[in-house]
Amino acid sequence: MSLLADGVTILCVLAGLVFFAAGTVGLLRFPDTASRLHALTKADHLGLGLVVLGLLPQMDSLAGILRLLAFWALVLLASAATGPMIARLLRRQGGIT
Amino acid sequence: MGGAGLIRFGLLLLLWIAIAGAGPPTLPVGMVAAALGAWVSLALLPPVGRRTRPVECAALVLRFPVQALRAGIEVARLALDPRRRPAPATIAWTPRLPPGPARDAFLAYASLLPGTLPAGEMADGAIAIHALDGSAGVAAAMTAEEARFARAFGLDD
Repeated sequence: MSLLADGVTILCVLAGLVFFAAGTVGLLRFPDTASRLHALTKADHLGLGLVVLGLLPQMDSLAGILRLLAFWALVLLASAATGPMIARLLRRQGGIT
Repeated sequence: MGGAGLIRFGLLLLLWIAIAGAGPPTLPVGMVAAALGAWVSLALLPPVGRRTRPVECAALVLRFPVQALRAGIEVARLALDPRRRPAPATIAWTPRLPPGPARDAFLAYASLLPGTLPAGEMADGAIAIHALDGSAGVAAAMTAEEARFARAFGLDD
């Protein structure tokens, strides 16, 4: 049982790291600032979500599970609030045409 | 007013307990923080008496991980495949929701969906949507998501 849990953890966390890496590659490679925002937010959200998912089987209490899920929700909330704000500022300054 | 404040206080306190635990050293701090949070939220976002629809709301929440997966895979493929490059475009999209907190909430939510990033209002009242792939049906997808969002939070009546 713990072997299965460890397997899920390793798979999910590795997949999460792939998406974090992809987000960083996008940040370097995408042509404009707004596209880089897409790379940073979307790929990293999925990466963090997979890392959280992978760590869930390692938690020994419901409190730990809720704490991990709350972290993901808070990051999503912060990003949903700031992403459009940065995009709006960019457009006002002519960065998005 | 008092009811909405109590509900928000309760939800914030639950979030605090989920993160920090309910032990004696943290709980009093959490109660103060939740009370402050509820007070600020009432000032910034007064209750409007909308009726959320639990089933549609749950569907929206359950759909979200799938959307996050689609969005992440799309960005990762664009970033990692050397033959592909993003073809970004800004699209004018006219929302159905009237200007106000509900529309702002939907636009914040839409920034988490695959390929779309709202970038503020244009001169004619439309919303500028920055899309990673300008050729996809971005405006139609936004309208469909808006309808789902409006149904879940009872904004469409």
